[in-house]
Amino acid sequence: MTQKNSPRRHRPVLALAAVLLAACGAAWGSVASTVPPLRPITVNLQDKAALRNGALYTVHMCVACHSLQGVRYSSLPKVLGLSRAQFLATIGTNGHHYHDTITSNMPAAMMEAYVKIAPPDLTVIAQRRSAAWLYTYLTSFYVDPSRPTGVNNTVRYNVAMPDVFASMQGLQKPVVVQGLRFGSPAKVAIGVEPLTQGSMTKAQFDQTARDIVAFLYAVAHPHQQERARLGPWILGLFLALSVLTYLLYKLYWRRVITSEERWWRVGR
Amino acid sequence: MNNSKPSKTSGVFGWFDQRLPISATWRSQVSRYPAPKNFNLWYFFGSLAMLVLVMQLATGLFLAIHYQPNPHLAYWSVLRGIQRDSRWGWLIRDMHVVGASAFFLLVYLHMYRAVMYGSYKKPRELLWLVGIFIYLALAAEAFLGYLLPWGQMSYWGSAVVTNFVTALPVIGKPIATWMRGSFVVDLPTLNRFFVFHVFLMPMLLLALVLVHLIALHQVGSNNPDGIEIHENVNESGWPRDGIPFHPYYTVKDLFGVSVFFVVFFWFVFYKPAGWGLLLDKLNYTPANILHTPADIHPLWFFLPFYAMLRGVPDKLYGIMAFGGSFVLLAFLPLLDRNPIRSIRYRSKLYKFNVLMMAASFLWLGWIAHGFATEHNMVYGLHVTEVFYATFLVLPFFNRQRSVRAKVLWLVLAEAAVWLIDVWMYSIHAHGWDLMLLTDWIPTLYLLVVFGSALAFPALTRDAAKLPERLTAGGIFH
Repeated sequence: MTQKNSPRRHRPVLALAAVLLAACGAAWGSVASTVPPLRPITVNLQDKAALRNGALYTVHMCVACHSLQGVRYSSLPKVLGLSRAQFLATIGTNGHHYHDTITSNMPAAMMEAYVKIAPPDLTVIAQRRSAAWLYTYLTSFYVDPSRPTGVNNTVRYNVAMPDVFASMQGLQKPVVVQGLRFGSPAKVAIGVEPLTQGSMTKAQFDQTARDIVAFLYAVAHPHQQERARLGPWILGLFLALSVLTYLLYKLYWRRVITSEERWWRVGR
Repeated sequence: MNNSKPSKTSGVFGWFDQRLPISATWRSQVSRYPAPKNFNLWYFFGSLAMLVLVMQLATGLFLAIHYQPNPHLAYWSVLRGIQRDSRWGWLIRDMHVVGASAFFLLVYLHMYRAVMYGSYKKPRELLWLVGIFIYLALAAEAFLGYLLPWGQMSYWGSAVVTNFVTALPVIGKPIATWMRGSFVVDLPTLNRFFVFHVFLMPMLLLALVLVHLIALHQVGSNNPDGIEIHENVNESGWPRDGIPFHPYYTVKDLFGVSVFFVVFFWFVFYKPAGWGLLLDKLNYTPANILHTPADIHPLWFFLPFYAMLRGVPDKLYGIMAFGGSFVLLAFLPLLDRNPIRSIRYRSKLYKFNVLMMAASFLWLGWIAHGFATEHNMVYGLHVTEVFYATFLVLPFFNRQRSVRAKVLWLVLAEAAVWLIDVWMYSIHAHGWDLMLLTDWIPTLYLLVVFGSALAFPALTRDAAKLPERLTAGGIFH
């Protein structure tokens, strides 16, 4: 075959790259609503003191209404860096068996009667929402007389949950801007400002909220550290195997060029 | 070369080999099975898909052991029982989740390979058709399995799909109730989906894959040049451009497997939910029969078909629109009857068309990823027309066409686009304003294909002469 009438070389690598790149582009989507900015947070799973503080608030405050059905009390000592005895003495199990899942003592039906909706399971929420969302949610309740509970939330509009932090954080008022809600123009609260002083300073309360988020994040992503520890080894193993098998492939295919096909390019 | 005799007649292996064709099968199907020399990287995906099938069976076995097919237990049996209470359960589940998406990606690439190199043409039509059935079985398997975690998207996705059949008049609703075993998706539905997912469909898939392999080995592999290697054999009957599958392609596939696992385990360890694409965020919420999510959509691998369904907002016609795409795929060997197999030796416009096949499919996926706005739905309709057209214009490329034929193709195809618009308007599916706004999509496509065929006839010219022997090969050629 002469060079002149040979078709342009079809390049499978480029074709594959183009297809994959386009697929990545297809993964993009958009929503039309004014989204309040989330407060940044860094979760440090090694900061056991913070996790213990978060666990204390979660088990004794949140669990009054919410459950964490994905988590057993017995899994907590390892997360918090405590012995079983230390855990039982400091945080405890709300009277449940040590190996039970963290279940609220408040019957769901009673909560539905109080706030019209059963409080969602916190394992579910913490898996679905980012740490920044949780942190913003916990610190962004504001006074809204139109709501039955008297409060609303910037990131969860018309929230059913009452402001259980009012005594600690104090009340807050919204920072309102003209924006979009589900595509139509509306006044949107994008932040909060202090209204009254609670039992904690702002810094103290924010730290407490961050501790709670860190704890929720830790129990919602229980294998994060195992993933981080194992991942590089497994990836390294298969990267090394890729190199070795590529060399093996080259070695075997060298034989293919021994016949008259000098143009054969593999193994050259 | 006699492959039927056992190689060894003494010893333990000899005892078995005389009673079971072990070494004969190994020789005829593996170590002396001639494969073309020039397979490139597109030929990794078939063997990788088989690997993923085995991996899904192995991980699925362990998941099934710990899973509870009961609406009260299902959600927490996955989220707690498997992911937390069972040792390594999280790893096995994430492998299964990522594996499902990997399976579809590999199968799509494998199918596109077949389209590019004409692997559906004589004598491989049946091989292609069995492949289509494998895809359908895989789609059913994925759909059935998606209900099992009993999350919001599992539940409502299954509710939507089991409602498809109600598009049939009169008998639709009773059939839907019979399929679900209940008036809504509930315990009987979950039980049967579990049994179909872990038993029926995997058996069917394995059987179909076996038939696929047998059919492949009956006709031999195609290759990137699309030239039949069995038509040029040496004195002993061995194809001059063939090499034994083992060890040449086994070592090549080993390399493919290693690279695949790097990518696969990167997802498993660092992005198991794949930015909400491999595992929908909403599926972290337990199914709630009283709360319909605002936006119900399938996972990424079904999105293009979902755009076709939404593009025609009429239940029966919408289902026909996306079901028809499988019929088109099945009829591919009848549509494209050009004697040249490989895209390498086809005309420039044909290459453009094959690229548009993939591009329109991806575009459909992108449209379905957005919300079900009127705008998105009309885009879906017109991009669906392009996707259909990329198949329906294939007969045009079967031979050189006269000027009159080119004009006729253009006029008839554009008329079909307008007729569909009129039909959509008549069934109150879409208004003219949005349809006129997006009519440029199929029109532009048709103009590019037929218009440039008229203006530049050279673009429709296939290679004058095929090479007699395979051209250079290797992974990256």
